Amino acid sequence: MKRVVVVGNGMAGARVVDELRRRDPHLEITVFGAENRPAYNRILLSDVLAGKREDVTLGGVDGVQRHLGVPVVSIDRSAQLVTASDGSRTPYDALVLATGSEAVVPPVQGIAGPSGLLLDGVFVFRTVEDCNAIAARAKRSTTAVVVGGGLLGLEAARGLLQHGLKVEIVHGAGHLMDVQLDPAGGTILRRAVEALGVGVHLGSFASRVDGTRHVTGVGLADGRHVSGDLVVLACGVRPQVGLARSMGLAVERGVVVDDELRTDDDRVFAIGECAQHRGSVYGLVAPAWEQAAVLADVLTGRGGRYTGSRLVTRLKAMDLDVAAMGDTNPGLEDDVAGQEVVVWADPARNTYKKLVVRDGVLTGALLVGDVSTSGLVTQAFDRGTPLPTDRSALLFAPRRGGSGVVADEDTVCTCNAVTAGEIRTCHSLPEVVLKTRATTGCGTCTSVVKTLLSKAVERTVA
Amino acid sequence: MKTLVVIGHGMVGHRLVEVAVERGLTADWQVVVHAEEPVHAYDRVALTTWFAGAALGLAPVAPDHVDLRLADPVVAVDTQAKTVTGASGLVTAYDALVFATGSVPFVPAVPGAKGPGRFVYRTISDLEDIKAAGGRRGAVVGGGLLGLEAAQALQTLGISTTVVEFAPRLMPIQVDAGGGEALRRLVEGLGVDLRLGASTQAITEVEGGLRMSFAQGDDLDVDLVVFSAGIRPADALAKASGLAIGERGGITVDLACQTSVDDVYAVGECASALGRCWGLVAPGYAMAEVVVDRLLGGLGTFDGADLSTKLKCLGIDVASFGDAFATTPGSLELVWADPVAGVYKKLVVSDDAKQLLGGILVGDASAYASLRPLVGSGLTMNPAELIAPAGTGLQLELPDEAQVCSCNAVTKADICAAAEHTPELAYVKECTKAGTSCGSCLNLVKSLVSKEAAKQGIAVSNALCEHFAYSRSELFEIVRVKRIGTWSELLASHGRGNGCDVCKPTAASILASLGGGYILDGEQGTLQDTNDHMLANLQKDGSYSVVPRMPGGEVTPEQLIVIGEVARDFGLYTKITGGQRIDLFGARVDQLPSIWQRLVEAGMESGHAYGKSLRTVKSCVGQTWCRYGVQDSTSLAVLLELRYRGLRAPHKIKLAVSGCARECAEARSKDVGIIATDNGWNVYVGGNGGFTPRHADLFLTDVDTDTLVRTVDRFLMFYVFTGERLQRTAPWVEQTGLDHIRAVIMEDSLGLCADLDAAMEAHVATYSDEWADTLADPARLERFVHFVNAPSVPDPSIVRVPERGQSRPLLPLSVVR
Repeated sequence: MKRVVVVGNGMAGARVVDELRRRDPHLEITVFGAENRPAYNRILLSDVLAGKREDVTLGGVDGVQRHLGVPVVSIDRSAQLVTASDGSRTPYDALVLATGSEAVVPPVQGIAGPSGLLLDGVFVFRTVEDCNAIAARAKRSTTAVVVGGGLLGLEAARGLLQHGLKVEIVHGAGHLMDVQLDPAGGTILRRAVEALGVGVHLGSFASRVDGTRHVTGVGLADGRHVSGDLVVLACGVRPQVGLARSMGLAVERGVVVDDELRTDDDRVFAIGECAQHRGSVYGLVAPAWEQAAVLADVLTGRGGRYTGSRLVTRLKAMDLDVAAMGDTNPGLEDDVAGQEVVVWADPARNTYKKLVVRDGVLTGALLVGDVSTSGLVTQAFDRGTPLPTDRSALLFAPRRGGSGVVADEDTVCTCNAVTAGEIRTCHSLPEVVLKTRATTGCGTCTSVVKTLLSKAVERTVA
Repeated sequence: MKTLVVIGHGMVGHRLVEVAVERGLTADWQVVVHAEEPVHAYDRVALTTWFAGAALGLAPVAPDHVDLRLADPVVAVDTQAKTVTGASGLVTAYDALVFATGSVPFVPAVPGAKGPGRFVYRTISDLEDIKAAGGRRGAVVGGGLLGLEAAQALQTLGISTTVVEFAPRLMPIQVDAGGGEALRRLVEGLGVDLRLGASTQAITEVEGGLRMSFAQGDDLDVDLVVFSAGIRPADALAKASGLAIGERGGITVDLACQTSVDDVYAVGECASALGRCWGLVAPGYAMAEVVVDRLLGGLGTFDGADLSTKLKCLGIDVASFGDAFATTPGSLELVWADPVAGVYKKLVVSDDAKQLLGGILVGDASAYASLRPLVGSGLTMNPAELIAPAGTGLQLELPDEAQVCSCNAVTKADICAAAEHTPELAYVKECTKAGTSCGSCLNLVKSLVSKEAAKQGIAVSNALCEHFAYSRSELFEIVRVKRIGTWSELLASHGRGNGCDVCKPTAASILASLGGGYILDGEQGTLQDTNDHMLANLQKDGSYSVVPRMPGGEVTPEQLIVIGEVARDFGLYTKITGGQRIDLFGARVDQLPSIWQRLVEAGMESGHAYGKSLRTVKSCVGQTWCRYGVQDSTSLAVLLELRYRGLRAPHKIKLAVSGCARECAEARSKDVGIIATDNGWNVYVGGNGGFTPRHADLFLTDVDTDTLVRTVDRFLMFYVFTGERLQRTAPWVEQTGLDHIRAVIMEDSLGLCADLDAAMEAHVATYSDEWADTLADPARLERFVHFVNAPSVPDPSIVRVPERGQSRPLLPLSVVR
């Protein structure tokens, strides 16, 4: 196997190229990217929108044929040929679909302008171009309406606040970030968000976009109206599977793959947000990168199996730290044999923590506002070890002594699954990035990594 | 003489008669009581304990004032003729009539609800019936408070019990879904089966018992069924007598508890006051007081009552208070729920988290006493502290950007900046406008200002010292509620640094008050100040004085001889103290154990002259010897001194008992003074000699010894709970307010009495003489050396000279004239 063609130059596509090159310098690798720019870190787009960061480009390895701004138009599976929009035809021995997903535009009245495109002032929030367009528009707007109160919507709102806009979030579910949080956690988040001056409108879907030549606001199904001269749609994403479908591959919600990330065509693979593995389509970067590593092993003959990811979501939602894992839905009032729900809620201090325990094993957890014990909790969740009888130990960090003692086996970078022990073997941040890739995902672990490094340096100096 | 007829002799009817006697109504009124039950009034609240053999009877009413007609229910009332007719046929004319008929159990209209094997749970006779019936399997219909009590009763009888509740959770009136779930686990853990959300459709007699069929289609076979699904006001007689009845039952009364008919009143569970019936005993008592007041020509009114409840059912703590269900718009719920630990604690606070609105505690309600009084008032400490599991090290500091005054949009940073300039409340208010509108944040502003002042070294803060941001009383509450047992634990969870000679002895005293055991063991020893450290009083020349306890000033000749011999053998100066005992001065540290060895062998024990604890109970000889004495003051003094000896408190405590009004024991200058009367004892509190003398205030009049002891127990323990560091009872009484103290310990207005009593019982039960304990343990004796590095060398700086037949310290020349 010599020629690998990767369709998609997003975070999954770029990563699999990187992983392949690390394993085999002789592979002939070709990448097609629809966007006319090098691969970038999409997680950091809200920082771009907020003006906190300009360059989010991911470092790319050398010796790869990259066709940027050149989407693939068709694939001939029998001839093993990829046809791109520039008319080029590229043969492959293995094809990797990493087409990612696209922003969902809800089919509501008035959303399309006279041109048939989105009404002037209405944007999706998915790419660097989207970001730039929103930022430009924000300069001449006063009020922004963000449609969707999930993680993406909150990120967009955070970015818009930096532009000095009044921001309103409309969200169909009863609480914010309903995928990750339960209602009580959502209440905490809502308070934190409102404290930043953001208006929150819950419980009713946007049903109408108002404005003839440009947008003037959003109407909700229950009759409420939220005015705004800039609207950002953050209504989720859906896997881009058009190409796979046209190739005749098995597609459900995503492109169906097995434990080797292989589709029903032996030579075609899929990873990232467009892939559906064991019924799950993942929307986070950590699983995509795990898949990229496994696929690189498979394609270079090392053999490997991807068995699914235990999702640990760690994020900052409007300055509020959130860690969520497993099944976070059971509530205090649920009476299920063998299940316990441990809760600490202090909304006055924007703190909410919940453990879901089944038969003594942690099956879900939610930490909002104070994630100081997320390391312990994540470990307990990952390993499925029986919990200590005093559950409070998992929820409250010891007042003194505890901090700074990070065990070697503790995961520091969840995006890349890097432990403290691995970081301690390095001597500088560039070395960490090179060897482990820690800090290159969401970047929230950077300060911890730096602390670990400074300690390692002290150790060697001493 | 006028006649007051009371219909009903339950707890409220009984209280009404008691109040009538106490307040002198019986001087002009003859009281006639018609009781339905054949027994004297009893404590229905404690009904469940009857199976365990508890005596429930309430204090009997005085027969010379009251004509009590047991088992003679009133069958007719003629409000025109103003007469009542008893079942016995006796007709009595009244000038005033009070309905205190209470309530009747509610039995749901289920086919087969009546018949053999089916019971209600309301009276002692119901209990007798249940006990007589017995059985192997029982069901209780109703999972509320009463239902769980009935379940407990069945369990006591060895009947395996199923509780059937229509609502999806237990105690739906008091607790929310989370609390109900915690309660379910706890109750099931006790072996009680639960059927929640179950609606009983029918009860049928089957072979060998009863079959309950549920709406869900399943059924349950039992030997007996107890209905305990709520109560309804017993208002049938009132209705038949033409009295107005409330929409949802109950005799309609106005604020004076007067019914629609002149001179006819209703009190307790049968009355509908302010549009509702009040199913707790406390509002009933309040109504009884109102009626007596009115009959005396007063203007008392019943203005509603706090329905907060703290109770124990099946041994499980449950408390519910204030806005327990968070119905206040925007209110926030603070929750700690740990099913393994078996606790559910929820606090409801206002949307700005500055006011406590209510709460629910299941499994551990020890924080109730501290939380209940905070409802409706501004919060200074984070209430989450009181529900969080111990050792959590919550970050309690408000963030700088937190808005403290929402009326004027002032943040913590603004206030701190102003306070940094001038740490005075008035200045900060003027400068920032914080607290000048609604004022609800004033407490918080005040505490921020005092913190800033403390930072600048200005002592206005109530914080103990730089290591603890709490006053002694707050710290006490924390230790008590969170059951902190050691200094390290306390410092780690609530303090910082290493502690100092202010906080260490305070913590030592708190730990000792709460039963910390021998005060010098382990790290506790290092906390004590010099006196406690050596279990003796340091004197100016570096020697120590020794004071054995002489309860009530009593001493046997043999003990006197031993004291004399000890003084002679060790060259000690002896003097009689103001507290009626003997002080032996001039002992070296290394001599203390040998001295005490001989005193303890002679049956004496530590007098705690060195401790912030009970010193003495002074007394006169009393009735036994004195021609004027009216009570045995010495015996009472001995009893009290033995009871409270060793009790660690915010400051020293002195008591005295005088045997007559001549007051030879100077009781009114003591923390608690007792003066005998012809009828019992008068109790005075809050007296002081010393620097700021204060006469003690009269607290109780003519009480018997049991009441006296219970009252003094609570008074002292309440002081121990809430006094500040080195605050004697005199300023404490003034600060706390005598009326408030009376309400707390006489009427249990904070629901704290059970805790106070338990704490005192624990103290009495675990008291042990510190010196006897010291002598019994070689390790403990090791500290009694002058030079830790040369244990056998006595302190050479201690030099004595003779004076008036004894030896006294050699003072520096400048001091001797």
